[in-house]
Formats: sequence, C-alpha cells, structure tokens
Amino acid sequence: MRNKFETENVVVHYGTKIAIDDISLNIESNNITSLIGPSGCGKSTFLRCLNRMNDTIDGCAVSGKLLLDNEDIYSDNLDPVDLRAKVGMVFQKPNPFPKSIFENIAYGPKIHGLAKSKAELNDIVLESLERAGLIDEVRDRLDDSATGLSGGQQQRICIARAIAVNPEVILMDEPCSALDPIATAVIEELLDQLSKDFTIVIVTHSMAQAARVSNKTAFFHLGKLVEFGETQKIFTNPEEERTQNYITGRIG
Amino acid sequence: MQQAYIPLKIQVSGEKLLNSSGAVDAQKALLFNWDSKVKKAFRENFPEVSSRSDKKELNRLISSNSGYDVKQFFIKNVEAFNSETLIFITASDDVDQYLKGRFNTDIPEEDRRLTDKQLKWIDGMHSEGLVKLKFNKNFFTSADSREPESSGILGAVVGSALTMFVTVLLSLPLAVMASIYLEYFAKPGKLTDFIEVNINNLAAVPSIVFGLLGLSLFLSFFGLPRSIPLVGGMVLALMTIPTVIIATRASIRAVPPSIKDAALGLGASKMQAALHHVVPLAMPGILTGTIIGTAQALGETAPLLMIGMVAFIIDVPTSFTSPSTVLPVQIFMWADSAERAFYERSSLAIMFLVAFLILINLTAIILRRKFEKKW
Repeated sequence: MRNKFETENVVVHYGTKIAIDDISLNIESNNITSLIGPSGCGKSTFLRCLNRMNDTIDGCAVSGKLLLDNEDIYSDNLDPVDLRAKVGMVFQKPNPFPKSIFENIAYGPKIHGLAKSKAELNDIVLESLERAGLIDEVRDRLDDSATGLSGGQQQRICIARAIAVNPEVILMDEPCSALDPIATAVIEELLDQLSKDFTIVIVTHSMAQAARVSNKTAFFHLGKLVEFGETQKIFTNPEEERTQNYITGRIG
Repeated sequence: MQQAYIPLKIQVSGEKLLNSSGAVDAQKALLFNWDSKVKKAFRENFPEVSSRSDKKELNRLISSNSGYDVKQFFIKNVEAFNSETLIFITASDDVDQYLKGRFNTDIPEEDRRLTDKQLKWIDGMHSEGLVKLKFNKNFFTSADSREPESSGILGAVVGSALTMFVTVLLSLPLAVMASIYLEYFAKPGKLTDFIEVNINNLAAVPSIVFGLLGLSLFLSFFGLPRSIPLVGGMVLALMTIPTVIIATRASIRAVPPSIKDAALGLGASKMQAALHHVVPLAMPGILTGTIIGTAQALGETAPLLMIGMVAFIIDVPTSFTSPSTVLPVQIFMWADSAERAFYERSSLAIMFLVAFLILINLTAIILRRKFEKKW
C-alpha cells in the first residue's frame, strides 16, 4: 500500500517544553491508522502537525520531515489553507457552526469554490450527508440550526462537513470521546465505510475502539513513538513491554 | 414647550415685491422694511401710545426677529399678498416668561427688563386675548438664535446625528479590524504588547486631549474647516475607537475557539474564519461596545470645544461639511446665556438628548436581539 504521509524525526516544542520527540511514522493511504497512548503523550500534537493546525498555537515549533504525497507540509511554498482543504479534521467536541445544517455543510465547498451553481452545492450537501449516514435523520430539516441536534448527530455533521470539501485525508481527534456508546457505534461503522475513499487518522483513548476500527495502530508514550504496526499485532502480541503494559491497563 | 405668540393682521402690497413669475423677488424683499410693517400692525392694538419712547418700549414686546419671520411667511405664501392676513408673531422672551409666571415683578422697576408700563400693556393684551401661549413649533424646526424666542434645537439635533454617523462609520470598522488583527494576526512580542498597553491607556485619556489632537491634526495639519460634523465625528471616533476595540476583543475571545478551529480545519483562511464565523458571533458584544462608545461620544462636549463646534450657528446643517453644533454643546451654550427664557430651552434640550440616547440604545438592543444566536 502507498504511503500517504511520511514523517521522519518530527520534534514539536511548545515554548521550551518538548511535546513530541523524534517521531518517524508512515501512514498508509486508504487505511485507518489509530494513535493511542495516555493523555499528554503527544498523539493529538502529532495529528495536528499533519494539517498544520499547530500553527494557531502560540509558541509551537515543529521540526523534522513531514511529507504528504512526497510534498513537504511545512514548506514555505505550501499554503496551509490548501493543505487543510486536502487534509480535513474532525475535533474532539462536536463543533458545528451555529448556523443551519445546510450552511454547515455548504461552507467548505463555498469557500473553496467547489460548486458552480446552487443546484450543484445542494447536491454536494446531500451527498455529504448521505456519506455521513445522516441524510435520513435531517432530510426534512436542513434549515434548522445544527446546534439543535444530538451530540452524535452533531459529530456526524462535522464529519459530513469535512467530507464536503472532498479531502484526501480525514484527521479525527478523539471524535467519540463526547458521545454515548450508541452514537459511537454509529460513527465507528461510518469510519469503516469512509476508509474506502479516504485516508483516516484517528486519535482515540479507547483501546477497544482502536482495535475495532483501525488497520494500523501507533502507541505513543511520553512524547515518543513506542510501537507502530498492524493493529492485530499490537493488541495481541506487542513487541515492547510498555505497549503490553498500556493495553492491559497497567500504565496510563 | 409653549411660547407666547401675538396674532397680528398684516397687509403687504405685492406690487413692489413680486417679480413677473409671481414669486417674491429676493433683492426687493431684502430691501423692504418688514420690521416697520410688523411694528405698525402691532401698534394698532395700542392707539393711545404716541410718544417716541413709549413706541420704543412697545416694540420691545415683540421679537426682534419677527420682521424676518414675516418675510419668510410671505415668501412661502405668495397668495397672502394684498389682503389682510393673520400672522402669529412671536412675542419677545420677556413677555413669554412673564406670561408663564417666571418674571419676578418684586424687584425695582429700573432693574427689571420690563417696565411697569410694558407689564400693563401685556396684561391688557392678555385679557383681550391678543397674546397667546401656543405650542412652540419653531423650537423643533429651527437652529440656534440670539433671541430665545426664535431659537430652536433642530440644528443641534441634525449636527449630532451627522457627527454620530461619522463617528460610528469610522470607529466601528477600524476598531473591528484592529481587534481582528490583534487577536489573530499580531505576533506576540514587544510591539504587540506596546500597542495593547497604548489602546488600554487611550481609553482612559481625558476627552479634551483628543480635542487638542483633533485641533492640531485635522485643523492645523490637514487644514480642514472648523465646526463641521466631519471633523467632529473624526475626533469623537478617535475617542471611541479604544473603547470599541476593548469590547470587540473581549467578545471575540468569548467565542468558543472550537468555532475558529472548525473553520480553519475546513481550509478557511484566518481572515475567513474571523469574518465568516467569529465576528458574526461576536456581533452582540461588538455592538454593545459601539453603543457604549457612541453614547459617550454623543454626550461629549470638551473635545468639540477644541475644534470650534461651540460656534453660534443659525442654520440647520445640511451636509457633513456645513458648520454645525451638537446637542451637548448647545445645552452648554444655552445654560450659559443670560436670558431667562434659555433656561427652559436648555431643559428641553437635555430631555431631547436623553431621548436621543434612548433611541440609540433601543436601536442597538434591537440589533443585538437580531444578531444574537444561541448554542
């Protein structure tokens, strides 16, 4: 399988504090890669390097090599706006815009000029909602405020919103941590569907979730990448002792 | 809100004043002695008065501007020429005050503004119904005057409105842009800190200092004319901007950062994230800040004194560059005047100012309601 992201010796500082230290990780295309590890281990930081969302944090410095399709993510020639159109993101807390459902989904295509006409925009919105498995629930109330939906629906709105821009990669930062088990199950099922079209990188606290949804798993600890490999292998037969301890709940 | 009026029958022959098209010839109207026409008509009420000094005292009972008023009346109503027309002439402010019971008759005659003889005439006129208190329409339709009876508030109201318009137009966009810059684009460092400290300090600078700045910058350096709403608005905008910036930044920060992240995550530029999402959500707070700033600016006198907006202006301003005054300055000038009749006009103007403020605040509350979103 082709590598979507290639990273080598990535170091991230927040001011003087080192958040992640010397991480080299390749992420395969059309695959789900999950990043696990205890809080503060740097997995979210690493995720946010992949679409340069760290740029918005004061005092954050990234060094090392980060390539998306062999193109340097942190090169001066690359506009983070273009990067983020290719690498979408879903956040921990559902954060729909306080606007209508339709406007939430339509915003991305609008600013990127993906739709030439109103009808086309309408199609994009409906298609995105369908791919996010939300269409049946919201078909009749596209003009209602997205903030009036349930948490799980809001999170799927955010996924639909990310899909609408037609990215290549979707980054998910603990997308289910604010949701109940049923909504989580719906989203996990959705991830499986989406992995056919998109490369997905998901940060999760739930090891069960990582085991269920991902093809590959990376275990982070204290800013270092401890182990990276096939999910099945990580969970059944890890090479490192620390990984073993973490997945069995002895450290965390 | 009332004013004493004296109804007079006046007949003017149109022969000498009208031009061929039937309108009043401006040149001829200027030369025509309207004053004597009014005075003559007025004296007909008092056939017994004949001596020169008595006539003079009698004339003082009507407003010295009545000739002008009559002229304006005839220019507007050309059909009134050549027939006896009933015109309500404004009585002088002393008559007005006396009829309203605000004239102290206990002080000795030589210290009074009205002599015993004049008082007797007024009493006589009053009992015969020749002088009446009527609603003072003039107060709402004209600008300032030396004579209390013909002074009005419209000039100041229009001046205030024009000035506020300039202030809001300048301060709101500038302050919002400055806030967006400081919140989203400014790199933290010495320069940004310096700007921030200065903005916070500027909000506490006495307003007269802004007036001085306006005087030296706009009037001396740029050579703009004095007393105009444009400059007044610019000076007040200088004063308002720090207040609005502080409020705007606070409300931008109050918008959940997740909204900004959401927009950035979709590939919106910082500017798009700010303008499409954060600023609309911060709008209620921004508007509140602007209202507070504008309300403060509306009641501000000191900086306007420095740029010549205390001028005595008898025309209602028609543009941003015509000389004008504003409500608080008008109140200040009237409260300062010697004539007793200005006292009630100041009170009325103060009520007007308050009403003006309530109006602005109401508009703002309605706007806020409209923009406010729940999540």
